[in-house]
Amino acid sequence: MIAYLVNLATLVCINAILAVTLNFIMGYAGIFSLAHAVFFGVGAYVAAFIALQWTDSLLLQLPAAMLVAGLISVALALPALRVRGDYFVAASLGFQVLAATVFSEWKSVTGGIGGLVGIPPASIGGHAFTDPVEFLALAGVTLVLVVVLTATIVRSSFGRSLKAIRDSESAALAFGKNVALIKTLSVFYSTAICAVAGVLYADYLSFINVESFTIDASTLFMAMVIVGGIGTVWGPVVGAVLLTLLPAALTYLPFLPRTEIGSVQQMIYGLAMVLLMIFKPDGLMGIKRGEA
Amino acid sequence: MLLLQLIINGIQVGALYGLTAVGFSLIFGATKIFHFAHGASFAISAYIFYYLYAVLLVWWPISILASCFVVVAFGVALDRYVYGPIQSTDGSFFTIFVGSFGVAVVVQNLIGTVFGRGFISVPSALSKSVELAPGLYVAPAAGIAVVTAVACFVGLQLFLGRTNIGIALRALSESSALVRTFGLNPKAISTCAFALGSLLVVPAAVLTSMTSGLNAAIGGRVMLISVAATIVGGVGSLRGAACAGLLLGIAENLALWRFDPQWSEAVMFLILFAFIVLRPSGFFGRVATS
Repeated sequence: MIAYLVNLATLVCINAILAVTLNFIMGYAGIFSLAHAVFFGVGAYVAAFIALQWTDSLLLQLPAAMLVAGLISVALALPALRVRGDYFVAASLGFQVLAATVFSEWKSVTGGIGGLVGIPPASIGGHAFTDPVEFLALAGVTLVLVVVLTATIVRSSFGRSLKAIRDSESAALAFGKNVALIKTLSVFYSTAICAVAGVLYADYLSFINVESFTIDASTLFMAMVIVGGIGTVWGPVVGAVLLTLLPAALTYLPFLPRTEIGSVQQMIYGLAMVLLMIFKPDGLMGIKRGEA
Repeated sequence: MLLLQLIINGIQVGALYGLTAVGFSLIFGATKIFHFAHGASFAISAYIFYYLYAVLLVWWPISILASCFVVVAFGVALDRYVYGPIQSTDGSFFTIFVGSFGVAVVVQNLIGTVFGRGFISVPSALSKSVELAPGLYVAPAAGIAVVTAVACFVGLQLFLGRTNIGIALRALSESSALVRTFGLNPKAISTCAFALGSLLVVPAAVLTSMTSGLNAAIGGRVMLISVAATIVGGVGSLRGAACAGLLLGIAENLALWRFDPQWSEAVMFLILFAFIVLRPSGFFGRVATS
C-alpha cells in the first residue's frame, strides 16, 4: 500500500512540473501549446539515451535534456512569433503529430514503438536513487524548486512584460518591450523545465515509449492547467493532483471494466473542460481576471 | 504508373478532405468559432452510418438521412448549449477552444467505448477497384467522391450566393453588428451555419467509411485536416479550404512514393507548419488575424 501511494505521489510530482511549466506559457505568455508532451518526450528520450549509452548521472542528463529541449523549442517559438490564438494551437498540434511520428520511427535512438527498456536509475555523485521513497523526495524537491522559480519569474519584471504581451502585444511593443525575445525566452524556459520532468519520468519508470508523449498526453497536460486554473500559481498543481489521481480513484469503482478506465478518465476531463468553460472559465483555483 | 495511381488516390482523399474543410471554414467564417469538434461531427456521422447500414442492414438512403439528421442535431446542439452560453459570458478564443476541444475528447471516447477502438470498415461494392490500365486501379468510390464533392461545393456556392439565408450567412461573417441593425437575428444565422457546416461532413464520412475505414480516433484526424486545410487555404475562403483540402490529400498520397506510410500525416503537417511560419494568411487569405 505504501509503495502504491509513493508511486502515485511521484507521478503527481512529475505531472505537476509539467502542468506548472505549461501554465507558464499558457497563462502568462498566452501561448496555448498542444505540443507540451513533445518536450516531455525529448527530455525522457535524451535521459534514457544518455543513461543507456554513457552514464546514469543526473547532473549530466539534466543539462543535456534541458539544452536539447530548449533548442527544439525554436520550432514552437517560431510560429508563436508569427500567429496567435487558434492558428498557434493548430501549429502546435501539427508539431505534436510530427514529433510523435519521429519518436516512433527514429528507431536507433528512441527504440521505435517498443520504446527503451532497462533505463538505469539516476544517480547524483555516485549515489543511485533506487529506493522509491528517495526518488519521491527527489521529484518533490524538484517540484518545489520549479514552483518557486516559476513564481519568482512571474513576479519579476520579465513576468510583467510577459503578461503585458499576453494582454496586448502591440501595447507592449509600443512600450519598447522586445516581444520576440521575451516570447522566445519564455518558451525556452518552459520547455527546458518540461524536459526535467521527462528526465525524472524516464529514470523513475526505467521504461519509456511513444505512448506517453502523444497528443493524448498533451491534451491531458492542458486539461490539468485548465481544470486547476490557468494563470495561477497553485492551479496547475491542483489540476495535476486531481487528474493524476482520477484513474487511480476510478479503479475502485467495481462496475467499471478495467479496459475502459482510460477512456472514462478522458471523458470525465473532457466533460469537466466543457462545463468549466460554460460556468467557470477561470478554473477551480481561478480568481476573476481583471480586464484580460 | 505508381505516381499516377498515387495522384488518383490523392484526389479521391483530397476531395473528401476539401468537403470537410469547407464545412469547418463555413462555420469559422460565419461565427468566428474555431469548431474543434468538427471532427467529432465527422466521426458521429460515419459511425451512425456504419451502425445502421452495416450492422442493422438498413437501406442506404435511410442510413444516410439518419446520419445527416443526427449530425445536424449535434452541430446545432453544440451551438445552442455549449458555444452560446460561453459566448454570452466570455467570448475569448481560449474558452471556446477549450470547450470545443473538451467535446471532441468526450465524443471520441464515447465512440471508443460504444463501438470499440478497433478498425472497422463498411463493406461495399463501390470500394472494389477496377483495373483501368495495367497497374492502375480505380474504385467507383473515387469517382463518386469527386462528383459529390464538386456537386456539394457548387450547391453551397449557389446557396450562399442566391438565397436569403446564404446572403445572411455571408453578411454575418462580415459584421454581426450590422446584421443585427438590419433586423436579422445573428443567433439564428449562426445556427444555420452550424447546421450546414455539419451537414457537409456527411458525404465525406459515408465515403470514408467505405473506402479507408474508420476507427475511434478518426475525429481527431479529421479535425486536424480541416484545421490545416482552412489555414493553408486562407481563413474565410471556402474556395481556399476546398483547394487546400485537395492539395493535402494529394501531398499525403504522394508522400508514399518516397516515404513509409507512417510519415504521410507528418508530411501534411509540415506543409501546415510551413504555411503558418511563412504565409499565415494562406493562399487566398485576406489579412492574417493577429
